[in-house]
Amino acid sequence: MKRDLLRVNMSDLSITREPLPEGWRRYGGRALTDAIVFSEVPPTADPLGPDNVLVFSPGILGGTSAPNGGRLSVGAKSPLTGGIKESNSGGQAAHAFARLGIGALIVSGKPADPDARYCLVIEADGSTKIERVDEWAGLGNYELADKIAATRPENDRYATIQTGPAGEVGAKAAGIAISDPKGYPNRFAGRGGLGSVMGSKGLKAIVLSDKGLQYTEHADKEAFQAAMKRFAAALKEHAVTGQALPAYGTNVLTNILSEAGGLPTRNFSEGSFEKADDIGGERQAETIKARGGHEHHGCHTGCTIQCSRYWMDKDGHYKTKGPEYETVWSMGADCGIGDLDDIAELDRACGDLGLDTIEMGATLAVYMDSGKLEFGDAKGALDALMSGADGGVPGRVIWDGALATGKQFGVAHIPVVKSQALPAYDPRSVMGIGVTYATTPQGADHTAGYTITANILSVGGTVDPLKPEGQAELSKNLQIATAMLDSVGLCIFVAFAVLDIPDAFTAIHDMVEAHTGDSWDPDALMQLGKETLVFERLFNEKAGFTAADDRLPGFFKSVPLPPHDIVFQVTDEDLDSVFDFVPETAAKMGIS
Amino acid sequence: MQVNVALFAHLSSFQPDGEAGRKPRAFDLPEGTTVGAVIESLGLPDEPRVLFINGRHADEDTVLAEGDRLAIFPPVAGG
Repeated sequence: MKRDLLRVNMSDLSITREPLPEGWRRYGGRALTDAIVFSEVPPTADPLGPDNVLVFSPGILGGTSAPNGGRLSVGAKSPLTGGIKESNSGGQAAHAFARLGIGALIVSGKPADPDARYCLVIEADGSTKIERVDEWAGLGNYELADKIAATRPENDRYATIQTGPAGEVGAKAAGIAISDPKGYPNRFAGRGGLGSVMGSKGLKAIVLSDKGLQYTEHADKEAFQAAMKRFAAALKEHAVTGQALPAYGTNVLTNILSEAGGLPTRNFSEGSFEKADDIGGERQAETIKARGGHEHHGCHTGCTIQCSRYWMDKDGHYKTKGPEYETVWSMGADCGIGDLDDIAELDRACGDLGLDTIEMGATLAVYMDSGKLEFGDAKGALDALMSGADGGVPGRVIWDGALATGKQFGVAHIPVVKSQALPAYDPRSVMGIGVTYATTPQGADHTAGYTITANILSVGGTVDPLKPEGQAELSKNLQIATAMLDSVGLCIFVAFAVLDIPDAFTAIHDMVEAHTGDSWDPDALMQLGKETLVFERLFNEKAGFTAADDRLPGFFKSVPLPPHDIVFQVTDEDLDSVFDFVPETAAKMGIS
Repeated sequence: MQVNVALFAHLSSFQPDGEAGRKPRAFDLPEGTTVGAVIESLGLPDEPRVLFINGRHADEDTVLAEGDRLAIFPPVAGG
């Protein structure tokens, strides 16, 4: 299995290709983007300057038929957090990279002309070129996708990676759009402002053609297929990955989080939303069905869970993907908006501008909390968001996220950790996720260690969400396991099955061994997760982060959340225990 | 005693009035009724489920009280 590093230097527009260094042969996805950012970016570098790099990497199983194995890791130093960032996305790009024999694409440098726009094209025969596309400046992601399509031959098969207008102006909440199986630019490496890192390099788009390319070869094809079948069976068998996610999508969570008092409402002032059912996954599924929308499909080829869907407007035309649970929460409950069409409109706007929907919804809620806009005012929210398009106020501040907006408009409760907005679970009534928000090197991020499993959903055991005991241990184990899955290139939703069906984990191990031909003792997979996190923690330390950055904002410990009237109670000592494995693991890795 | 019962996702079709939907229905139940007895009377499928009484996790042995809200979910997840 060939995995090269493709280097593109935007200062001089040079392209070089080199073999993956031997020391990184067990790394893919998040482990590889982290290793590269750790090794090549000065921790104090300007995230939008020439010394930052933007790295794209498929996981170890990218380009294979492993179910749900087509996730893409995008890494850089984050303009939002100032720390290391790995943002993970579905879409078609990861498989394309892997089939092209590219283990990682590393974009460095910065063009001298800030008005220059470029498109990197990688053809299926491996040839590469950088085209000047100044006329694409300022295009929204959907129109940009159409422009790219017009440049491609008939019957081509290709994936796109794009940055929207927000990324071009350096917005701290800009994300990177990845095309889905139908070519819509609607899957996102959303968090942490990576769209602006792409924009700072003058790179408007990347096109990857994998037409005619086959699955990447396995070291032991027969063993791989046997393990792959066991893994697929586990995903089919589990009630969440086999039934609930395909039937209702990620937004099936809205009602259960509201029931549990953990759905942050009106800028984290309440834990249940009175209109939860109006925006929940059941209503969403009923509406999509009635409007003739796409009820379920995979966000990338090879996904067997199929939690994606398309939202259609009232006339039955495609509006946007999903919307996903996190977006329904941020634009819905957190803003006091109880209508799925209003939420879809905001989702579409963010998708076209290239903005992270989690950060934007949380930011609009902070803006509403300032009194400048009423909670529930969907039209006002859309106007405020769109006002950034010509650099106007308040939009351009909103595009920089919840912290910038909260400071600008004097808001007391700004829900951020490491400058990144908290997602869709309140840490007072779901204390495990508070540990993840506080301690992950990524800034507040639910996917980094998704304790909702045991805290709320009774998946992988149970840990009472309303008590501090056991939360640090739960978060730690999930953060390590997640870093492993992100490096293997599997969708983290496979974890729901893996946590309950022991053979699913063994099947992952067997697929990795059969594909790579390397011997992995099962503990080595968890070691891969630990090493990934070590790169992230050490980078952040060098960038100036301390234990004080591993804390929730004070109001989560002092202002009780209805309906349970509870505050976050996990001790600082427990929070500081989560990464206790770092010194020993770093010493083994020979880095500091 | 009166207890409000809400059923979610595919379970909502088991509401006795046959109208589905997630809105809670008021049930008149004898004192001492357990969650498990309600599940049995509704004829819910034999599968894992997540139970809440007044927003707190409960199990089938939990005894209901006047005015409780019982919410029943099949296994769900997302994020």
